[in-house]
Amino acid sequence: MTFYINEEQMEDYLFKIVLIGDSAVGKSNLLARFARDEFYSNSKSTIGVEFQTQKIDIEGKEIKAQIWDTAGQERFRAVTSAYYRGAVGALLVYDISRRQTFDSIGRWLNELHTHSDMNVVTILVGNKSDLKDAREVSTAEGKVLAEAQGLFFMETSALDSSNVSAAFQTVVKEIYNILSRKVILVQEHKKQDTSWMENGKTIVLQGETNHEADSRTWRAKCCSS
Amino acid sequence: MDSKQWVEAASGKNSPVMDRLLKGRTFPGKVLLTRRTDPLGDSSIAEHSPDIERSYSENDLQPTELMDSFSEGEVQNINKGINNSAKSKLKSSVSNIETMSSDVQKTMMGARATDSARVTKFRKELSGPAVILETLRELAWSGVPPYMRPTIWRLLLGYAPTNSDRREGVLTRKRLEYLDCVAQYYDIPDTERSDDEISMLRQIAVDCPRTVPDVTFFQQVEVQKSLERVLYTWAIRHPASGYVQGINDLVTPFLVVFLSEYLEGSIENWSILDLSPEKMSNIEADCYWCLSMLLDGMQDHYTFAQPGIQQLVFKLKELVRRIDVILKFVSLSQFINNVVVFDRLEPVSRHMEEQGLEFLQFAFRWFNCLLIREIPFHLVTRLWDTYLAEGDALPEFLIYIFASFLLTWSDKLQKLDFQEMVMFLQHLPTQNWTHQELEMVLSRAYMWHTMFNSCPSHLANS
Repeated sequence: MTFYINEEQMEDYLFKIVLIGDSAVGKSNLLARFARDEFYSNSKSTIGVEFQTQKIDIEGKEIKAQIWDTAGQERFRAVTSAYYRGAVGALLVYDISRRQTFDSIGRWLNELHTHSDMNVVTILVGNKSDLKDAREVSTAEGKVLAEAQGLFFMETSALDSSNVSAAFQTVVKEIYNILSRKVILVQEHKKQDTSWMENGKTIVLQGETNHEADSRTWRAKCCSS
Repeated sequence: MDSKQWVEAASGKNSPVMDRLLKGRTFPGKVLLTRRTDPLGDSSIAEHSPDIERSYSENDLQPTELMDSFSEGEVQNINKGINNSAKSKLKSSVSNIETMSSDVQKTMMGARATDSARVTKFRKELSGPAVILETLRELAWSGVPPYMRPTIWRLLLGYAPTNSDRREGVLTRKRLEYLDCVAQYYDIPDTERSDDEISMLRQIAVDCPRTVPDVTFFQQVEVQKSLERVLYTWAIRHPASGYVQGINDLVTPFLVVFLSEYLEGSIENWSILDLSPEKMSNIEADCYWCLSMLLDGMQDHYTFAQPGIQQLVFKLKELVRRIDVILKFVSLSQFINNVVVFDRLEPVSRHMEEQGLEFLQFAFRWFNCLLIREIPFHLVTRLWDTYLAEGDALPEFLIYIFASFLLTWSDKLQKLDFQEMVMFLQHLPTQNWTHQELEMVLSRAYMWHTMFNSCPSHLANS
């Protein structure tokens, strides 16, 4: 599990996040934009896995995201899927101007769930929103799929920067929230249990609902299991 | 040799094997010039190296055991002697190379590929009725004069026949054969392709525009179309692997070298439109065949789960671990006689392991793209002279080159934690590299290959 928890201060966080999706949907550029505010119109294809860290401030807490950017081509799956292990967050990316990249989302979800925990905080990202004239996947379609699969959703453009930080932050914030609730629970229970992510699919990922209610739901399921 | 003798040997009390093994070998020019024809120079090396190898496999000495074999007192005495200047010397054996006057190095490096004696040898080799490949490999290993590259690469890869009478005829036939393949597989409507073929073509089409994007020449549409035809035709004819990302990079050295026969000046100013369609078609065909020949020896690098690469990455890790141990000995033997200075050098491989760094995390791309992504493009053709000279032995030799490449930064790596290391290794600071740094990597690779090669079980043993 790739986060370190300091029960007393809740300070040192390290979240492992993976970027997955078909080849050339813009995964590497999303990361370049987010981590370095850079964009390359013809960036080289990613071979295997590339790595980047980025600090994110959530509610005054410094969180370190360890982001693994994976190659999109099928042939690399055997190598890249090893990196899903221990991930607590995922950005599942398609290109709004290429329908087949959206059609592959189901396959990517399977892949993610096969090689990681079921409850990885996942956001579906429709990238290249700047290509308005070439759009092949509507925003509504993206939303519907995200809701059906219980994922966050956002359309982004690594080219014009829109929503790029927001997409990463959504994931990080949600992991942080889940973790905070967990810490409260841990404190309540006076026991240390860092395997919260492995306790089945009990974490509600949808939206910013009532934390109190959420944590109760979570606790009930957790304790009954 | 037991471990005690080992230490004695290393300390210079008794036959300082490692010291002698490296003496005179650290001069990069010399190493390259004397390759194989006089691979060892000092006859004592030949006598002693088998001992070294054997003691390894028999005792499987670990660095910690070696260190522990010093008495506590000795280590303390040694530590007392440490001063800063001496400490700075106590690095790897290769620091010898690095401290050598850079002027001398430049002369050596710059001179080699073009020096007239070598050019004469190449010319002589090429002028006969039949080229002797073994001789050509010897010569080419240390670098080929740029204007001879097209001819020599075609020969080294076995694409052009060694017999000069047959050469033109065979090339003409092969080039026509390629054109037939393109007509048969590429120039057809999508309706005649299977779904897999369509998605493969799509993948190739996506990758061609982003092949070596930092060299503007490759941004020309005609260049990209040419790449696309070569890659797709190759992929269709090699169904076991099909197209794998990164193979697009592998065509580029061939393209640049074969174009250099017709286009002059800097690659940045080349225009593919200056070539007649016929010439371009020949160049494209040569790229196709040379890519095929190169990859014939590495098919399992690109098949499902890429077992060939996984295996080489594993061997690389093993080799680096073993080189680490040797480097430690060398530092020891070099300094033990001058009232020594001994520091507990952490081998870089152990540091990497402790930090949880997997070789696959950085070396996968090295093997998948044969280091093209890691060095400036203008150095790639020189590196490939050595690759192609190795011929069938290339996959095994890659391990040595990559170990040498990695250990270029062994001091730096020791100071980095996991995250810093991954980032560093994925973006190595080679932007300003010249031939000098590359020659250094290759000569060390050669040196280690010579040291380890007399005992293949070294690498086989896990």
